[in-house]
Order: sequence, then C-alpha cells, then structure tokens
Amino acid sequence: MNTKLVSAISLALAMAACASVPQTNLALEKARSAVRSAEADPNVSVYAAVDLHTARDELDAAEAAAAAHNESGIDQPAYLAAQTARLAQLTASAKASDARVAAGKAARDQIQLNARTKEVDTALVARDQATQRAVSADAARDQATQQSAALQAELDALKAKPTDRGLVLTLGDVLFDTGKADLNPGAARNLDQLVQFLTDHAERRVEIDGFTDSVGADSYNLDLSQRRADTVKAVLVGRGIDSTRIVSRGYGKDFGVASNADSGGRQLNRRVEIVIGGIDGAPVAARSRS
Amino acid sequence: MNKPLSKLAQASLALAATTFALVAYASDHVAEAKIAVAKAAIEHAEQSGGPEAAPVQMAAARDKLALAEKANSKHDTKPAAAWADQANIDAQVAEATAAQVRASKAAIEFDAGLQTLRQEATRATQPTQ
Repeated sequence: MNTKLVSAISLALAMAACASVPQTNLALEKARSAVRSAEADPNVSVYAAVDLHTARDELDAAEAAAAAHNESGIDQPAYLAAQTARLAQLTASAKASDARVAAGKAARDQIQLNARTKEVDTALVARDQATQRAVSADAARDQATQQSAALQAELDALKAKPTDRGLVLTLGDVLFDTGKADLNPGAARNLDQLVQFLTDHAERRVEIDGFTDSVGADSYNLDLSQRRADTVKAVLVGRGIDSTRIVSRGYGKDFGVASNADSGGRQLNRRVEIVIGGIDGAPVAARSRS
Repeated sequence: MNKPLSKLAQASLALAATTFALVAYASDHVAEAKIAVAKAAIEHAEQSGGPEAAPVQMAAARDKLALAEKANSKHDTKPAAAWADQANIDAQVAEATAAQVRASKAAIEFDAGLQTLRQEATRATQPTQ
C-alpha cells in the first residue's frame, strides 16, 4: 500500500508539475489536515488506532483519485477520511479522560485509606496517651501516699504531737543546765531530726516557745525562757535554716503543763516547745493567754 | 480466425454481463446495507446525547440519510451508498462528540473532587493549632 501511495503521490507530483495551474481540492486539503492532526494526537495511537487506520485508507483513496485526475472520486473518500480522523480524536479524548478518572480513583482510594489509617492511628495514640496519663496519675498518687507516709514517719521520729496550732515538739529542761540558756552539747544532736525535717520542708515555719516553772521572779523567768528559745533558734539558724522562718518567744511560768507543787511537775514545766507550722507556710498563730 | 474470436467475444460478453449483473445486484444490496447501518448509527447517536452535543452533525446525518434513501428509491445505488456512508460517519462523530463532552466533564469534576480530598488530607496531617 505504501508503494501504491508513493507511486500515487509521485504521479500526482508529476501531473502537478505538468499542469500550468496547480489544482487544489478543498475536501482533500481538509482530509489531509484532519489526518495529520489525528496522527499528532498521542491519545489517538493509544485509544483509536483502528479509526486512524481507516482514515488513512480513505485519504489514500482520495489521494489516488486526485493523482488520477478522477475529480469526482476525490470528495467522498476525502470527506470520510476527515470525519473518521475527527471521530478518532473524539473517541481517544473520551477514553483518555475515562482512563484518567480510573487512575484517579485508585489515587482517591489510597488517600481515603491513608486518612482512615491516620484516624485509627490517632485514636490508638489518644488511647495510649490516656492509658499513660492514668498510669502517671497512679504513680503520682502512689508517690503522694509515699510522701505522706514518709512525713508521718519523720513526724513520728520527732515525737511531735498534733495540736490546734500545729505539730508541737517538746524539748525537756534536761537539755539546759539549771539557770543557763546554753544547750547541752548532747542536746544539740537531738535537734538533728528537726533540722533535717525543716530542711526537707522549706515551706514550713516554726515557732519556738520557752517556758519555766514558777520558782523565782517572773521577770527572771520570762527572760530565761526567752533566752532558751533564742538559743534553740540560733542552733537551727546555725544549721542552715532561714531565720525568717523561725519565731522565738519566752512565756516565763505561764502555760504550765503540770503542777509546780512538786519537783516532777516543775521539771515538766521547764521546757521549750517547737510548734511546726502547716504546709501552706503561714506563720504559727501566737499563743493566746485566755 | 473469426470463429474463435467470436467465441471468445461471446464468452467475454457473457462473463461481462454476469459480472455486471452481479455488480448491479451487489451494489444495490450494498447501498441498502449501508442505509441500514446509517439508520442504526443515527438512532444510536440520538439516544446517546448526539442531538444536544452536536446538533449540526446530527442534522447533516439525517439529511444525508434522506438523500441516500431518495437515490436508492431511484436505483441510483452509487450515490445512495455514498450518502449512506457520510450519514453513518456523521452520526458516529455526533455520538463521539457527546461521549467526549461527557467524559471530559466527568474528568474535570473528578479532578476537582480529588483536589479537595488531597487538601483535606494535607490539612488533617498538619497539627491543629
């Protein structure tokens, strides 16, 4: 067929060369243009190769008729060639669009699958985080329980007694020499636990109250009780406790805890009480003399 | 010399007559067959959105079918077949035009939907502020 086409074209060229005025046929021009356009369309070779082949055959027939100067034989195959080439392009375009949508559906399904996977992942992460938070809460509660137990153990070690004003730790007069405000060297070591407690619980304030028995002048007793309280404060400050956390007061013979009628009761009354404030860091309320 | 020639001529004549009759018979049937094909193509195109997408092509197809039928009724078989061929291809072009418009529109709509989906997916992966 190619040989035929080539010879047909050669013949047409030869005839055109002979003719003084070149003959042009509008239908044939349209057919050539349409077939060229379809050939240049990449979709056509993929989706409408058969239509393109038919169009080429029709165009060949038209060219052959033109070459043979068979003017009446040109228009019909030329028209069919042009229309078939057009049909090829339309069909190929539609099929290409369909293919694009089909490919896009796969992409869409993948995106939707990814989104669903992500949702599931997010839900799993949220669940894990919730579990983690619950575990953390449990741990925090356990830690709080442990801290509470530890505090109780420390307070037990201090032999502190809970009162309206706070936890009260009583240091007996055996820590002081009679009539003196100096702490015995051995007694200073007994304050170790209190120092440790105040160091561990920097938010707590303390009040140190000094008391005497009723023997002697009130002014002397007031002064002695104040000096003994000051001594304990000085020891605590000397061990690194901030002085602003500590208040020292002397109350003399007041607020006795036992009778001054016998030596045993008087010994109980000669004492220093250390009142430990609450966790809120508020100052210890002053002792009321009501 | 004459006798054999006349015999040959007679044979040739008979063959030519038979051939002519066959061709005439065949072309008659070809035209009818092509008219039937063109009719079917037009009906199919009419049911596939051809009149809406390509009214000019459809009208041309119908006009050419009428010309084919008219020629065929006069036993003018060659133009009848030619008109039928043109009516057939015009109807196919009209139908293909409708299909192409539909497919193109669907693809554009699908692309827009896919684009929206992609944007949503991208947004979903970004941390919420």
